[in-house]
Amino acid sequence: MLSHVNVSLESLNIATLVPMLIPIIGALFILVIDLFKKDLSKSMYVMLSLLFVLLDFGSLIDFAIRFDTNGTLLGYFDLMLVDGLALLAQFVIVGASLLFIPLALTSKRFHEFSYSEFFALFLFMIAGFQFMVATDNLILIFIGLETASLALYTLIALHNRTKSFEAAVKYFTMGALAAGFYAFGSMIFYALSGSVEIHQIAAVFHADGFANLPYILIGVVFLLGAVGFKLSLVPFHTWAPDVYEGASASMAGYMSIVPKIAGFVVVMRLFEFLVHSGVVWMDVILYATVVITMTAPNIWALVQTDVKRMLAYSSISHAGFVMAAVLIATTQSNSALFLYWTLFTFTNLGSFSMLWISRQKNLPAGQSSDHPYTKFSGMIKTAPIAATIMALFMLSLAGIPPFGLFWGKLYMISSAVSGGYIVLALIMALNSAIAGYYYVKLIVYMFMKEPVPGLEGKVYSMNASTSLRTIIGIAAIGTVFAVIAINPLLEFITRFVYNSGY
Amino acid sequence: MLDHILSILIFLPALAGILGFVIHKDSVKTYGIAVSIIEFLGSLYLWFAFDPNVSGMQFMESMPIIPSFGINYLLGIDGISLFIIIMAALFTMLGIASLGETKKIKNLVITLLFLQMTMVGVFAALDAILFYVFWELSLVPMLYIIGAWGGPLRIYASVKFFLYTFTGSLIMLVGMLFTAYLYYQATGSWSFSILEWYRLILPHSYQLWLFAAFFIGFAIKVPMFPFHTWLPYAHGQAPTIGSVILAAVLLKMGTYAFIRFSLPMFPDAATFFMFPIAVLAIIMIIYTAMVAYAQEDIKQVVAYSSVSHMGVIVLGTFALNVEGITGSVFLMIGHGIVSGALFLLVGVIYDRRHTKLMSEFGGLAHVMPRYATIFGIMMMASVGLPLLINFVGEFLSLLGFYNQSHITTLLAGVAIIVGAIYMLSAFKKAFFGEVTNEKNKNLPDINKRELVALIPLTIIAVWLGVYPKPILNPINNSVESIVALMHEKAISPEAKTRIPALEGKIAIQKSEAEVK
Repeated sequence: MLSHVNVSLESLNIATLVPMLIPIIGALFILVIDLFKKDLSKSMYVMLSLLFVLLDFGSLIDFAIRFDTNGTLLGYFDLMLVDGLALLAQFVIVGASLLFIPLALTSKRFHEFSYSEFFALFLFMIAGFQFMVATDNLILIFIGLETASLALYTLIALHNRTKSFEAAVKYFTMGALAAGFYAFGSMIFYALSGSVEIHQIAAVFHADGFANLPYILIGVVFLLGAVGFKLSLVPFHTWAPDVYEGASASMAGYMSIVPKIAGFVVVMRLFEFLVHSGVVWMDVILYATVVITMTAPNIWALVQTDVKRMLAYSSISHAGFVMAAVLIATTQSNSALFLYWTLFTFTNLGSFSMLWISRQKNLPAGQSSDHPYTKFSGMIKTAPIAATIMALFMLSLAGIPPFGLFWGKLYMISSAVSGGYIVLALIMALNSAIAGYYYVKLIVYMFMKEPVPGLEGKVYSMNASTSLRTIIGIAAIGTVFAVIAINPLLEFITRFVYNSGY
Repeated sequence: MLDHILSILIFLPALAGILGFVIHKDSVKTYGIAVSIIEFLGSLYLWFAFDPNVSGMQFMESMPIIPSFGINYLLGIDGISLFIIIMAALFTMLGIASLGETKKIKNLVITLLFLQMTMVGVFAALDAILFYVFWELSLVPMLYIIGAWGGPLRIYASVKFFLYTFTGSLIMLVGMLFTAYLYYQATGSWSFSILEWYRLILPHSYQLWLFAAFFIGFAIKVPMFPFHTWLPYAHGQAPTIGSVILAAVLLKMGTYAFIRFSLPMFPDAATFFMFPIAVLAIIMIIYTAMVAYAQEDIKQVVAYSSVSHMGVIVLGTFALNVEGITGSVFLMIGHGIVSGALFLLVGVIYDRRHTKLMSEFGGLAHVMPRYATIFGIMMMASVGLPLLINFVGEFLSLLGFYNQSHITTLLAGVAIIVGAIYMLSAFKKAFFGEVTNEKNKNLPDINKRELVALIPLTIIAVWLGVYPKPILNPINNSVESIVALMHEKAISPEAKTRIPALEGKIAIQKSEAEVK
């Protein structure tokens, strides 16, 4: 007979669920409104979602203060784990979402934004990502991952173009495979340790001295494959350029930031103890993944003719660059990961938004993709301000100081150097040099070539509205004046990472 | 306010550049000249207020940027950077003044003002990251100048220039980060201050690797053989103003950085690599001189000769003694003045004929006597004739290296003399003999606008050739403290003997910052 289980409400610490519950409630609320009143303006949904995301952000600030005084919080049968990593990642997730939602307010009507479901799904997705980072339970990570991913597939498909369906299907099938990988990897870990909690698994593995090494390595490979899909690590990246191309530019920008930070946190939790285990193969597998993910997409990006595809490949390369932090696994490198990703959020969202505002509703004749390089020829003459801002984002992505991403790069390479990975640091530096070429290529097109006849300046701001311009302005300010924010940001991040024991 | 004179000199042009966006394009050139005159006067004030008896840094400013990572806004100059900053201000001023009718003149003037910010920044920065920021940032305006106003192959040339220097400097960045990490290990706190780094005593093997990492960044900029291949393209395609600034100021960033970073931080590695680098420098002198001889384009002759003379600067720097380094710094100034003037002169003839091929010319001395005179003076200065500016620097550089190795110096000396042949032969081809080409018969002589830029340079070239003392003294003083520092820090016996000891010039407190 089953014995009674007594659970006191206090020990559940339900409060740890608040940040995830806010967007979920928001999503349900939007669905209910839609049930009763159909013909509401899309801007109302945008503002409503923005409100919930803001609330979410507020609750995170509250948690950050509590974490600062009390340390790590556990809740809900210890499923929820609110530590520094979880909070930092949620700040990026929710912060990027805050900047993303207003992008729906375009002047051209794209019909996906007129569905209330779009916003409901969007909020569900945020909650999914938040669950994914705020736990060290493999099952809850899986649930968060799948919630977020399923919502994301649908959001891409809503963009109602042949390429978008193709992208969504491609992403879905790949994602399903990744889910299988994930389940299989966790199963092996469970079989070996009898637990689905990462810290328990670590304890068991350490206790028996990694006795079942071959099995552990198989589990690692499966899990790395699964998370590798989300992080678009080579060789699991093949979906990324096509999906980015098929999705709307704003969605692509979002996808290059938010799912990845969630993935990074999972990888950090999973691999922290594995990297420190001293098992040589773990290092080799990760090292190879990092170097290949950094280098190969860089070389593919060189030959792209479409700016969006170039940015897609460059995002993959950036993910590889940041993945190095997991390999180095010091407090400095883990802090560098968050610093880099925060700065990357501004710059990458900015550059994808620039593509978004130059989006034409229908492709002009003779143009096979949305944003070929040639479209930007001579932009400095026809749209000087837009060209300057775009160039700024490119310089930042290339890592030219004093623009945002340079400081992330600096700190990341420094962490490699101080972690004893000198060769890796050199590879990182050389990769930045290769990447310089394709970013500068866009600048060359914009500033040094003659404009294409027939393309007037307004093509570059076809889709612009005040809110889009505001977002781009925020991204540009964040990119240019990043240097002022680096020190407080760095201290904040380092304290949180350090206090979580990473 | 004058406490922050260096900050003003750095950010005034940038601020003026931003304000310049709203000025009508007809007045923007005058605006640019006005701003650069203020900037130039400011740099002269630096010289005026500079105390030549102090061997350390002056006009220091400090402000934390990222204190938790040891990055500061740290500025200061010594006798070495002082004159290069004045030269950068001088050439921006003369460059803008000499601009003729150009498309998009507004963008050009604004770009030049931004470029000026980065140039002054590089030479005034005493924090490695700050230095790196300006160093990298200077690539962007130059990319734009070559790419937007250059010749037919301008895009290829500008991207090549950008990627070459960018790659080199990223490797240098890894070196900087590693140095900072070693400093962190030795002292327990992060610092990127060059002055702090000077106190760091590194083991021999670390020195070698770090020296190599920094060397790649600097050598590409100089450009040293075999990293020089970007330069002929950049010069060949760049507009006159681009070539002038590139030759006069931007290349000096590399040689300046050798003296600021490589020598005082890694004295043992500098001694270790002295001969290999000297060999590269001599190859640079001889090989580029030969290539220059084969050129048909007069601008390429000047470009290659400029690389050749940069070889002498490198040779002087790696003499590792006071004469050599003082000579190389002086030659940096001289080379800047002379090669800048030569590129301006080539620009004059290009404006008139839209060709730079020597075969198109001949007998120009009859048609344009004033032009030929100035060209002749600069040519002789470039070749290193006594009583003209370059002689002083070349003589001291070679004298310095003579103390290290007689044979090598002899080789370099002969190479310079042989190198003079191509300059004189180019001069002969273009200026003497009969006027054969009809188009050259009625060319107007040099006009007032062009003279405005060239007369001051000619005066400087003669003045400093005859009486180099006013700038030689402050340079000498600062160099002495660097050499004293190197001798003090050197750990290998070879370096101790190669680098002369200077009594009473010790600039370093025996430091606790030692990496084992």
